Amino acid sequence: MIKIPTKVLLVDDEEDFVEMLSLRLKELGEKVSIAYSGQEGLDTLVTTPIDVVILDIKMPGMDGIETLREIKKQFPLVEVIMLTGHGSTETAVEGMKLGAFDYLMKPADFGDLSAKLEGARKRKDEQEERIRKAEVKLLVRKSGGLS
Amino acid sequence: MQNIHLLLVDDEDDFRNTLAKRLIKKGISPLQAENGEKALAILENKRVDVVVLDVKMPGMDGIAVLGHIKEKYPKTEVIFLTGHAATQDGVEGIKTGAFDYLSKPIEFEHLFGKIKQAYEKIKREEEKFEEAEFRKYMEEQMMTTERLASLGTLAAGVAHEINNPLAIINESAGWLKLILSKQEMAGIPRKKDFEKALDKIEKGVERAKRITVQLLGFAKKDDSVFAEVDLVELAEEAVHLVKREATNKDIQIVREIAPDTGTIWSDAYQFRQVLINLLTNAIYATDAGGRITVILEAVGDTVKLTVRDNGQGIPKENMKKIFEPFFSTKPPSEGTGLGLFVTRGIVEKLCGTIDVESRLGDGTSFYVNLPRYCKIKEDLDQDERIRFLDRLANKSKSTP
Repeated sequence: MIKIPTKVLLVDDEEDFVEMLSLRLKELGEKVSIAYSGQEGLDTLVTTPIDVVILDIKMPGMDGIETLREIKKQFPLVEVIMLTGHGSTETAVEGMKLGAFDYLMKPADFGDLSAKLEGARKRKDEQEERIRKAEVKLLVRKSGGLS
Repeated sequence: MQNIHLLLVDDEDDFRNTLAKRLIKKGISPLQAENGEKALAILENKRVDVVVLDVKMPGMDGIAVLGHIKEKYPKTEVIFLTGHAATQDGVEGIKTGAFDYLSKPIEFEHLFGKIKQAYEKIKREEEKFEEAEFRKYMEEQMMTTERLASLGTLAAGVAHEINNPLAIINESAGWLKLILSKQEMAGIPRKKDFEKALDKIEKGVERAKRITVQLLGFAKKDDSVFAEVDLVELAEEAVHLVKREATNKDIQIVREIAPDTGTIWSDAYQFRQVLINLLTNAIYATDAGGRITVILEAVGDTVKLTVRDNGQGIPKENMKKIFEPFFSTKPPSEGTGLGLFVTRGIVEKLCGTIDVESRLGDGTSFYVNLPRYCKIKEDLDQDERIRFLDRLANKSKSTP
């Protein structure tokens, strides 16, 4: 079976981390885009189709929570996994309340990351599927219910 | 006054004995010496608070004895007895350090008053000394606390900064491992060695990570934010955060929450940390198919949290050590030994207590008792706090 790659966007100001994690994910066949700041991430989302964003909470300039808010506003279907370097679950909980799919402590266990990535991708697919079905229904109703 | 250690020094036996008798009637039994040399010998061996000292004595005279006393026992007060109208001697005595002087013939009540004053002066000095000692002790304590606090801040900073490079090491090693597992790499020489080393790197990262997480938890202790906390909501949240871990091990988490649990004035973040720590420990100690019960109930003015598992239990010899830092029964690569240490620190800071009950093979229960209202940090959120206290007062009125 051929794996359908998940389109991942990595947003973190730690360049070495972004590079290594993207290489690792690419090695597994995912399609990875990278951004080194919240703004750059949002710009990427405009030009590139993305399934899941892996987003660092602590970044200079626009921080992760702010970026998350913007992503959910502009691209509500895109799933977000938060990355935190703090021991604090506080920001993680805040992120979840704002609509993040899940969160991970840095350094993240790759098994956890993979599982969460898959879960996020699945949720997005299901959501899109529901929207498609709803649209079909709407179309059928509009066309006078031929069936 | 009865406890005073008094020494009478006079070469006139009649005078000295009469004085002693009258003092005994007042409840004071004085030591006696008929000359300066004997007086000094007594001072060598016995504690003396006040000395009543005659100035005119054969051998060593009063001034000389006074000089010796003040030099060797600066805390001892001396009342000088001078001859009739010999003011000069009295002045000399005071210059040498006497508490005061009286001219013979003396009036007993007058002398008694002076002895009392001298004794009170000694008591005052003692109190002052004790106060200074106490202040010094408190200052040292505060310095320790401050040092710990700044150490905590430093530790948190270090832990946080180290997590990022740790993540880089982690991803790099993981990537290499992935490459090694590719078909094209199947035949490379010494592949096993590479895999072994990469495995060790990952394990090392895992271990370092656990330490940084705990250090962050420890340091977090000092910037608490108190507010009204809904314990039921908090328990739900904490259970949710560890649910995946429990499900993976096929452990059931049951919540038994009394409807009157209500709210407390506390730090939500820290209380959640306590719950998570206890739950994580319980999950570790419980075997597959086990059950963890989280109980919240109101007990008098406090709220009692129980985290009970039916896991392995804690051996007796470990019961005393479980709250010590760096004590762990997990293998070194899995436990940091900071979990319960941090937990207890937090609970105590929230004005609560933590207890444990355990039976080998049956399981363990941790009990956390928290007052509804913790007095520390009173300066914060004045309005909110007062409203909370009002509600608390009304509630206890309505429940008989």
